[in-house]
Order: sequence, then structure tokens, then C-alpha cells
Amino acid sequence: MATNILDNIDLRKLGELLQQARKKSGMTQADAAKVIDAARTTIVAIEKGERRLKPNELIKLARAYGRAVSDFVRSSPVTEPFEVQFRAAYQRNEQEEARITPIIERFEELCRNYLELEKIMDAPIPRNYPQEYDVNNMPIEAAAESIAIAERQRLGLGDGPIPMLRDILEQSIGIRVFYLNMPAKYSEIYSYDEHLGGCMAINLSHYEERRRWSMAHGYLHFLAHRRKPVVDFEGQYKRIPESERLAEAFPKYFLMPTSGLLSRFNDMYRTHGKFTPTNLFTLAHYYGVSIESLVYRLEDMELLPSGTWDRLRDRGLKVRKVQQELGLEEIEHRADILPIHYQHLAIEALEQGLITEGRFADFLGVDRLEARRIAEALREHSSGMLEESAYLDLRQA
Amino acid sequence: MEIKHSHIVLDACCVLNFCASGHLIEIIQSIPAQVVVTEVVRERELLTLQRLADESNEDTNQFEAAMGKGLLAVTDFNSESEEETFVNYVFELRDDGESATCAIAVHREWAIATDDKKAISFFQREAPNLQIISTLAIVRHWSETANVSSATLRSVLTAIRTRGRYIPHRNHPLLGWWEDMMR
Repeated sequence: MATNILDNIDLRKLGELLQQARKKSGMTQADAAKVIDAARTTIVAIEKGERRLKPNELIKLARAYGRAVSDFVRSSPVTEPFEVQFRAAYQRNEQEEARITPIIERFEELCRNYLELEKIMDAPIPRNYPQEYDVNNMPIEAAAESIAIAERQRLGLGDGPIPMLRDILEQSIGIRVFYLNMPAKYSEIYSYDEHLGGCMAINLSHYEERRRWSMAHGYLHFLAHRRKPVVDFEGQYKRIPESERLAEAFPKYFLMPTSGLLSRFNDMYRTHGKFTPTNLFTLAHYYGVSIESLVYRLEDMELLPSGTWDRLRDRGLKVRKVQQELGLEEIEHRADILPIHYQHLAIEALEQGLITEGRFADFLGVDRLEARRIAEALREHSSGMLEESAYLDLRQA
Repeated sequence: MEIKHSHIVLDACCVLNFCASGHLIEIIQSIPAQVVVTEVVRERELLTLQRLADESNEDTNQFEAAMGKGLLAVTDFNSESEEETFVNYVFELRDDGESATCAIAVHREWAIATDDKKAISFFQREAPNLQIISTLAIVRHWSETANVSSATLRSVLTAIRTRGRYIPHRNHPLLGWWEDMMR
């Protein structure tokens, strides 16, 4: 390893990364210049990619910015920076920008990590992407329902509930789904890139019912407006665009298909001669949706009179309390930050000695001790097979 | 355990294991070479080691205590060529700690203590002349030279297993010894 990697690296990209890190650390160009005993103009040139760095300067700057050298010395990503994608995605003020930008950056880092793990393991995520649906000039509700029916058919989901939506999106379709902590009013971030494919970040702090709704919402963006990045949050629009209205209509048809819901509603109604709040709670739990979403859906289908939700709310309905009294457990879900395939790629890369333990911890976003705990759990989860046999091709005699 | 070099650089895996053992100082004292850790590893792992100490209700962090007593020396790059090698290794390993450990060991011809599979294969390729020693080899050496009772040894290995969450790889040359001691 005789050549100096800094002689061959993309200087413009390195300069950009250094500039981002400096700004994050709150240092000025003059402060950074002092760190390497140079003039401010030298930092300007470095950040523009016009001046080559010495290893010593890179080490000093990384330390001053509180970052690892490995954050800067890496192959140039082939993906389009998320910052560019999202710049025009929605209007935001400075305060909003400050809240959401770190989350978008983390989302981007995780997506890139995912791609890197796939390359290390030579195991790209299997994609089962449909053609983008053409929704031009179609009435919104009809378009949303017809796409929902077509997708259920394509994925073999019938007309029943979808118990593990996240797993279906990740494993049956090949969308990268991360659960990240976001401020409460944000529900989902959606992005698409030729290399990464469809990617979503869902607000971890929401209830699973709401997260499922956000995932279905994001899935419609993937199905109908694939290349349009979206940051979805409450109160975003003065006038809601059609693409957003379609995405908002889709989850109810996808998660609660008309035929299945009608049949189950009728079964309950026939059995009891009425449709009670207990029936409502049981049905919502069965479909993995919120009570409010189900009531609105039943109102739309004219199975409940309009205004039912408002009346329930006015009576002071306490949803969580009733769910507990009825013994309805939290719906089945996997609330890990990282997709399951990502975690398995990381542990396999570690086991096969393709990445170091420190890099494994970085991929998981935890310290070394926590990384070892997760590695142990993942090893147990991967079936308790002997290490060698885990990589056997069972189709080979 | 013979060490053919004047110094041995501990990587982050070994530091964590020895701290988890609760006997870092005694173990280091038994090593027949000056024990060193890189500044990069110290800086990056300090918080983890403090968490480990807190979880174990230790009054003082053993790692800092060992440094304070001069048993564990902290070293940083001292030449441009070391720094250049470090940056080159980072590009390949994507791990600052292992890269610093290896760069310094290569330039100064020091031994390396590590259990990291990727790091071991990298070190063997980059510096086949350097001795690579594992956590278990060092613990076994300590137990032999200090006449540690089998009960104490078992509790040390159990602490490394449970607090440090370290399990030797199934091809580890000392796996049989570890299993015997843990029985």
C-alpha cells in the first residue's frame, strides 16, 4: 500500500464533507485555519477541493471537528445527495430546516450504509418493483382504490389485513424502511434514487398504527410519483396538491380493502344484531389501524352514519384505555431503527471477517459494547446454526 | 507467551475485554512488553469504557487508572509516514481505531493485541513479520504467571463473556482451553 490515498481521492467531495463537518461543529474557517496553522484562504481552497490535504492536516481537522477520519476518506457515493433531492421538496422556514435536516442526513447515511453492506456482501436487496402507476386525469378516490386492489393482487395479499406491512415493503418489494425519531408532527420521509431504489424513514415515536398508515402513504408515493422526494408533516400545505391527496387516500383502501372490510363488518353486525364500540375496537385492531381511521372508512362506506367519530370524541373516548380494558395488545410490529436485511448483512459481514467490530458498531449506530450485545442477539436469531453452515447453499448437493 | 517485540499495542477489542475482566491492571502487568494504546482508540472508546465501568458500579475507570499509573502508555503518530499509512489504512478498513493500531505497530515494529477477524487478516497481509496476540493468549499467560486459581480465572473469563460480551470464534486456537476453563 505505497500510494497516498489523498493523492487519488475526489478532492471536491472531500472538501464538501470537511465543510459540512466544520459547520456542524460550529467552527469558522478562521478557527479551522488555526488548527492546521494555515491562512483562512487555505481552508477556503481545501473546502472547494482546490488544494490537496496532507494526512496530518486531515487528522487534525477531523479531531477538531469531533469526527473520525473514516467519515472523510471513503469512495465517492454514486447516489444523489439527499440535500439536493429535498431542497425543492417542500417549503420550510429556518426553524423547520434546523429540526429536519439532521434527520434527513441520518436517513441518507443509513441508506448509503445499506448500499455499502450490500456491496461488501455482494447481496443486493431483491427488488419487486411494479411499473409506476399512471394516475393522470383519474379521480383521486377511484385511482387510490384501484392501485390498492392491483397491489394487493400483485403481492398475493387477498382482501384481509396486512399484519407486518414493514416486512412486506422491505422483503417482498425491496423498499428500505427505517424507523427514526422525528418531531411529532413529521410522519414520513420518502426518497428514490436509481441506485438506492425506494427509501422511507418513518417516525419511530408514533404508534404502530400511525406508522403503518405513514408507510402505506409513502408506498403510494413510490407507486405513483416515484422520483418525487417527500417530507410529510402536519400543516404542510395551504392547498393540498393532488399527489398528496392521492397518497392520503391510498392507505385506507390498501390497509382496509372494501370487500374484506364489508364482509367482516356484516359478520359482526349479523352476530350481535348491532355494531358496538367493542366491535369497532376489535376490527381496528384486526386491521392494524387507528380507531379514527376505521370510523372514517366505515362512514365513507356508509356503514356508520357520518359524524360518528366526532360524537365518539365529544363523549370523551379514551382509545388507549378502552384498548387496555378490552385486552387488545399492541399490534405485532418490529420497531427496530434498521431494516432486518440490513442487520443480517451487517452481522454476516462481521462474522465473515469482512468488516471490523468498530465498523459493525458504526453500521448499527451504537457503541462497541452495545454492538456486541446486538451481534449476540442476531447470531441467536440467525437460527443457532454453526457458522459455516449458515452460508451453505442448500440447493447444492 | 513470548513477545518478540519491545512493545505491544492493544486494539479496542482487547481493551474492552480486559476492562470487562475487572483485572485490567494485573493483566497488563503480566505482559512481558511495554503495553500501549493509540490516542485514536483512547479517544474513541473512552465513553464506552466509562459506560462499562458505570454498569459495573466501579468507582474508577480501570482504563484511566492504568494510564495514570503509567502501566498503559498512550501513543500518537510521530511522523508523517505514520500519518500517511494511517489514512491509507482507514480507506481500506473504514475503522480509525484498527487503522491507527496497525499503522503505529507497522512503523515501530511492535506486536499487536487484537481479536478482530478483519483486522487480523489485514495485519497479516500488511505486516507478516509482526506478532499478533489474542485476548485469551494474554489472559492465559496472566493466569499462569500469576498463579491465578481456577475459580478466579473462571470468574474473569465469565466477566469477559458477560460484561464484555466476548465469545471466542469457533476456529480460535484457544477455544478448547476457554471451554475447559468455563466449565
